[in-house]
Amino acid sequence: MRLLSSATITTQPPVAQRMRWLLIGIVVAYVAILILAPVGALIVGAFSHGVGALLATLRDPDAQAAFSLTLQISLITVAVHTIFGTVVAWVLVRHRFRGRRWLNALIDLPFAISPVVVGYIILLLFGAQGLFAPLTDALNIQVAFAVPGMVLATLFVTLPLMIREVAPLLQSLDQEPEHAAATLGASAWRTFWRVTFPALRWGIFYGVALTFARALGEFGAVLVVGGDIQGSTETAPLYIFRALDNRNDSAAFSVALVLGLLSLTLVFGIERLRKRARV
Amino acid sequence: MKRLFAALLVSCSLLTLLAGCGANASANGKSVTLILGAYSAPQEVYARLIPMFQQQWKQQTGQDVTFKQSYLGSGAQSRAIVNGFQADVAALSVAPDVDAIAKAGLITHDWTNTPTKGMVSTSIVAFAVRKGNPKGIHDWADLARPGIQILTPDPKTSGGAQWNILALYGAAMRGYVTGVAQNDPHAALTFLEAVLKNVKAFDKDARTSITNFEQGVGDVAITYESEVLTAQAAGKDDDLVIPTSTILIQTPAAVVDANVNRHGTRKVAEAFVAFLASPAAQQVFASSGYRPIDATVAQANAAKYPAVTDLWTIDFLGGWKAVKASFFGDSGIYVQALAAVQGQ
Repeated sequence: MRLLSSATITTQPPVAQRMRWLLIGIVVAYVAILILAPVGALIVGAFSHGVGALLATLRDPDAQAAFSLTLQISLITVAVHTIFGTVVAWVLVRHRFRGRRWLNALIDLPFAISPVVVGYIILLLFGAQGLFAPLTDALNIQVAFAVPGMVLATLFVTLPLMIREVAPLLQSLDQEPEHAAATLGASAWRTFWRVTFPALRWGIFYGVALTFARALGEFGAVLVVGGDIQGSTETAPLYIFRALDNRNDSAAFSVALVLGLLSLTLVFGIERLRKRARV
Repeated sequence: MKRLFAALLVSCSLLTLLAGCGANASANGKSVTLILGAYSAPQEVYARLIPMFQQQWKQQTGQDVTFKQSYLGSGAQSRAIVNGFQADVAALSVAPDVDAIAKAGLITHDWTNTPTKGMVSTSIVAFAVRKGNPKGIHDWADLARPGIQILTPDPKTSGGAQWNILALYGAAMRGYVTGVAQNDPHAALTFLEAVLKNVKAFDKDARTSITNFEQGVGDVAITYESEVLTAQAAGKDDDLVIPTSTILIQTPAAVVDANVNRHGTRKVAEAFVAFLASPAAQQVFASSGYRPIDATVAQANAAKYPAVTDLWTIDFLGGWKAVKASFFGDSGIYVQALAAVQGQ
C-alpha cells in the first residue's frame, strides 16, 4: 500500500518519460471509470430528489434502525478482530508448530467463499434444525435470524483483513529491539506495548479501517442469516436493497451515500494520518 | 496518534447520534408484536393493510400491534421460517411453501380450513412489456419467437416463477397457444423449451425480476398482473398484456402455530389472517392491483380487472401436490426442459 519514493524516477530518457505519462494516464482512467464514475452517480442520485428527500430518508425510523444495527455489528466486529486478529498474526509469524501452514491457508478461506454461502452455513449450524440448535434452545438465545448470527457472519467474512495487515509487518520487524528490551529487564507484556506495538500500530489501524469498511457493506451473509426483518435485522445495505425493490430510489441512494461517505472517510482518514506520522 | 483517536471518536459519535434516534420504544403490557414473513411482491399492499389492522385491533382490544416485516422470495421465506425465523404469520405466494412449514412441524392446524381455503389474494399471470409494446407481444406464442428476451424469476426461490411456468404450460395444453396442439404434452414441452431458450435472466424473486426489467433488461417480464399494476401505480410506464389463457394465482397466508405459541400471539395473528380475507382488506387488495377473492368486492371492481378469455386454476394441472412433483421434482417437466435448453 506504500507509494514509491518519487526520487527514484527523476533521470529518465524522453521515451521512458512518455511511457510513464501514458501509464499514469491509463491508471487514472482505470480508477476513474471503476471508482469515480459510480461515486459520482451515487451523489447525483442521492440529490436528484432534492435535499429534502435525503433528509426525510435519514429521519425514517427504519433507516435509522438500519444504521444503528450496521454500526453495532461493525464496531463489535472491529473490536473482536483487533484483538484476535493481532493474536492470530502473532502466533502465525512468531511461533512454529505442526499445522501452522494449514492454519495460515485456512485464514484466507473467507475470501474464497461467497458471503451467501457463509450465511447459509451459519443457518446450518444455528438454524432451527441446525447442529447447535439444542444448545441455543437450552440457553434460550437466538442466533439465526437475530443479531448474534449476523455478527458471526460478519466476523467470518472480515476475518483475514486484520491478520493480513498485521502479519507482514510482524514478519519484517527487526527483533533486535525486543531482545534488547528483554535484556534490559522489561517484562514480555511491557516489551510488547513499548517496542512491538508501536511498530505494528499502522498495520492495526489500517486493518481496523478495512475491517470496518467491509463490515459496513456486508450484504449477502447478513441477508441470509438475518432474514431482512425491517427495523430488527435490517442493516443499511439491506435497507438499500429493499428501497430499490420498492422503487424508492431516492431512499436507496441517500442511505448508500451516507454509507459510502463513512467508509471513504475511514479509509482516507487513516491513510492521511499514517502519512503524516511517517513524515 | 491523539488526532487519530479524536477522528475515530468523532466519526463514531456522529454515527451513534445518527443511529441512536432509531431506538424503538420498548414493548409494554398494552402492546404486542406480530412478525410477518411474506413473499416479495405484496410490500405496498401490506403497507396499506397493516395500519388498517392496527386501528381495528386497537378498537377491539385496546392493544397496540407493532409489526415486524420481512419480504423475501416465497421459497426463500418458507425456508427461513423452517430454519428458525420466528414469523407469526406466513404470507407466501404458493401453497406448497406453506405446506413446507407445516411439514417441518411448525404449522399444526389445517391452514386451508377457512372460508377462502387459506387464500388471501388472487392475481393472474400476465406480461409486462415496454411502453407501446414495440415488440408486439400479445400472447404466449409471441414469447417463443426467436430473439425475444424474457425475464422470469427462478422457480427454486420464487413462487411467482412457478406460477409463470404453470401458466405457460397450461395455456399450451388447453390449446390457447397458436401452433401448439391441444392436450399434447410433447408439444407443450417443446413450447416450454422454446420459451425458456429466450429467458435472459432468472432473478431470485418476482419483484427483482420486474425492477430489473424496468432497468432496461429484456423485452418482456412474465409476472403477476398485480406486479405490473403496482409498477404503474409507482409511476413506471410498463404496459400490461393479459394473455388469452392464464392461471388464477392464489396466494395463501397462515398462522405459524409454533411461533405464536412461543410468543403468545395466537389471537392477534389469527385476527390478522382473518382480516386479510375480510371485504375491507379485499377492497385494499383490489385497489392495489390484486383481483379480490370476495365476490362482492370483485363485482365492485370488475371494470378494473377485465375478464380473461380462459381463466383456470392449479386444479387443471392436478393441484399443487401433483405439480410439485410433475413439474418441479427432480425429473419434473420444468427441470427437464431447463436441462434440455441449458445443455444446448
